[in-house]
Amino acid sequence: MISIENLSFYYADEKRPALNGIDLEIGDGEFVLVTGASGSGKSSLARCLNGLIPHFYGGRLGGRVTVDGLDVSLHAPKEMATRVGMVFQDPENQLVTADVEREIAFGMENLALPRQEIAKRLEEALDTVGIAALRKRQLHTLSGGEKQKVAIASVLALKPEVLVLDEPTSELDPQGAEEVLATVQRLNDELGMTVVLVEHRLERVVHLVDRLIVLSAGRVIADGRPGQVLERQYDRLCRAGVGIPPLIRLVHGLQERGVPVTGAPLTVKEGRRLLERVYTGIGGFPAVGDARGGAGDPVIETENLWYAYKHPYAALKGIDLSIGRGEFVAVMGRNAAGKTTLVKHFIGLLKPSRGRVRVNGLDIVKTTVAELARHVGYVFQDPNDHLFAETVEEEVATTLRGLGFSDVHRRVGEVLEQFDLTPYARQYPRFLSGGQKQRVALATVLAARPQVLILDEPTRGMDQQLKDYLMRFLCEYRDGGNTVIIVTHDVEMVAEYAQRVILLGEGKIVVDGDRRQVLSRALLFSPQINRVFQGFARLGVPQEILTPEEALQLLRH
Amino acid sequence: MSSGTSYRYQDRDTVVHRLNPFAKLAWVAAVMLLAVIFDHPLYLIMLFLSTLPVIALARAWREWASLMRFMLWMSLAIVLINALVIYQGSHVLLEFTFEIPTLGQPKITLEAIAFGLGMALRLVTIVSAFVALNFTVHPDDMMQAMLKLRLPYKSVLATSMSLRFFPALVDDRERISDVQRTRGMELDRGGLLQRARNGGAVLVPLLSNSLDRAVQIAEAMEARAFGAYKRRTAFSEITLSGWDRLLAVAGLLPLPVGIYLRCLGYGKYRYYPSLQRLDPGMAGWLALAVLAALLLAILPLAWFRKRWQLD
Repeated sequence: MISIENLSFYYADEKRPALNGIDLEIGDGEFVLVTGASGSGKSSLARCLNGLIPHFYGGRLGGRVTVDGLDVSLHAPKEMATRVGMVFQDPENQLVTADVEREIAFGMENLALPRQEIAKRLEEALDTVGIAALRKRQLHTLSGGEKQKVAIASVLALKPEVLVLDEPTSELDPQGAEEVLATVQRLNDELGMTVVLVEHRLERVVHLVDRLIVLSAGRVIADGRPGQVLERQYDRLCRAGVGIPPLIRLVHGLQERGVPVTGAPLTVKEGRRLLERVYTGIGGFPAVGDARGGAGDPVIETENLWYAYKHPYAALKGIDLSIGRGEFVAVMGRNAAGKTTLVKHFIGLLKPSRGRVRVNGLDIVKTTVAELARHVGYVFQDPNDHLFAETVEEEVATTLRGLGFSDVHRRVGEVLEQFDLTPYARQYPRFLSGGQKQRVALATVLAARPQVLILDEPTRGMDQQLKDYLMRFLCEYRDGGNTVIIVTHDVEMVAEYAQRVILLGEGKIVVDGDRRQVLSRALLFSPQINRVFQGFARLGVPQEILTPEEALQLLRH
Repeated sequence: MSSGTSYRYQDRDTVVHRLNPFAKLAWVAAVMLLAVIFDHPLYLIMLFLSTLPVIALARAWREWASLMRFMLWMSLAIVLINALVIYQGSHVLLEFTFEIPTLGQPKITLEAIAFGLGMALRLVTIVSAFVALNFTVHPDDMMQAMLKLRLPYKSVLATSMSLRFFPALVDDRERISDVQRTRGMELDRGGLLQRARNGGAVLVPLLSNSLDRAVQIAEAMEARAFGAYKRRTAFSEITLSGWDRLLAVAGLLPLPVGIYLRCLGYGKYRYYPSLQRLDPGMAGWLALAVLAALLLAILPLAWFRKRWQLD
């Protein structure tokens, strides 16, 4: 059992507490989801459970955290390891050795277990997580999801009573995430293991858990059964920047319009059961259409584009497409489908092995990256990769000088103003918060006023507030006649904002069309709301519904 | 180092890969040390050539070629610097009229160039031998071998982890270079100052990402009871059969023989004031042949071991 009494924690040199007056009891066998916006203290709370706080991080800890009767402030993480197993966010940076078996053995070796015991527990751990087939594999050949399962197995081998996972799926694609979560659920269901899962994407996990705890600014602002919390504390969660699953948003919207529905459906099945009555017998639904205009002149054209990193394995196989001015395009597909490979051609980072790519009429083979960068902005996934200068100002100015602009000073001022960064102009960019860094990275790219903006997995790891900010900005930017191209796995975001979806598979275009055609009635790539309404075809409900807002509009007449 | 080459260990399951790490460690140590104690260019060439069949059998050509491209530049730099700084030698190829304080009147001599070439050859041989070891031994096996040699655990772990994360560093560097290129930096163009500045644009994110990674790994290790006890157990230990011991001895054998030959006066070479004749004489050729035979003996032995294992 975990018991937390009046816990507060300050990181060294911080005046504001990361955790503030937390009281919690977590019983044996519970599956608890801890959520909250970035900086709400959810990761810090997880680190208090095995003593990484305060032993590894330092800082000031007040109150008491006991796990299984042991006070964590008196017992170091290496002692807690046999009671609390911890799995971290980044699968790359928590694996110590080079292959699966040795990785799982690592912790047991540290505990100085006899070799026979290690061999026995190794077998158990492999089977419990279901990775026996991977046992001889090298870690770097595994997918992200498989690596996370190895991390889980390596922790289970120490026979902990509690499993703590700190955003274990945020670096994974949807398939990998689903596999990892299914494994965790099985550990809880069948072995009765206590699980504390930290996650900010509720729609992925909320239906799996017994209890939902929401943190904001280091305090617990909601705690209870997930359905109840989401239903009764809806406004509070929204204010705290928690991303609410689309189905819950729909039900809330219906309630606001006076439609008599109660409950908080967490799965598609529950959603259909609850909403069927609402949409029955109405008939004559308005057609769902997009008000958005068509595309302008083409800005990016590819002609029979082939690319191979390593001959003869082609990553792109004959891509033909044309993207016009003013389009908002999402490039989707499984990992290794060729998404990033494709968009890297649009700024000349890769040159076609065969075929042709034109950007604003310029052949990318004959144009340098620097010249193309005046037409095309490319935002990489991790803002940390962008930042190197001494000040935010200098960071932006470097791009402008690199691209050969003359009125650097004026442009820097403008772009900092645009992204609310003027107060930070003279600060060291790497010391800013995650959201601020993201804005600096955007500013460095947009200072050149490119007509095309490419973003690679921009929303991965972002909380709702930052996501909303980015999307608002992208829509404005698009409305100014520019083109946005997003590489993403985030179906819900695409459903809401993109206009055209290009689905890649094995280096070829599988589908390319309006988001409604591509996302509706698909299995893996349908948003939650669409999957609910797929069940209502016989009621005459349009099947192209993708978002809660559209579902609400059906009832407007 | 060119892109596209993965510096990760790949188990290609060749004769060389299957050889036990001690034998390889012994053999590579022998080659490296012999390259240090012998001066004679013919001996160095022989040592260099002896690494090639091992690399060929291990099918590690790609990694080898990519490192060698880099070594070619290094060699050029060594020859150039040596020629420009050392003015000994009797065959003057070029003489300058001005004078540099403390160094004197600069001149380029045949002997200085030859000496630079000799040094470069030595370095290339050592790197080539290193490739034969590093890309054919599983990093964890290497660690086990080091531990068996009674080196302290923490230093061994730190070394093996820095090797393990080297490929990740290469990936990081490539990604960050891409980012900076899209910001108009042309990383391999411009003057020295500009290049240094652009280098910083890659280096700063690279270093601070590495620091973040180090903290995360430390945290993950701590959470898995690292350092809980003074003595930890080892799940897998390298077992050495009689054959493996024999192979390790065979691998190291060229070293004492080489030292003995060197003491007898073989393999010396004089660069200054004028180059000695290359021909080592009848006895010298014989000594060279004996060393070459001993160095290559590891291959048929390894081959035999492989078949013996399969039976």
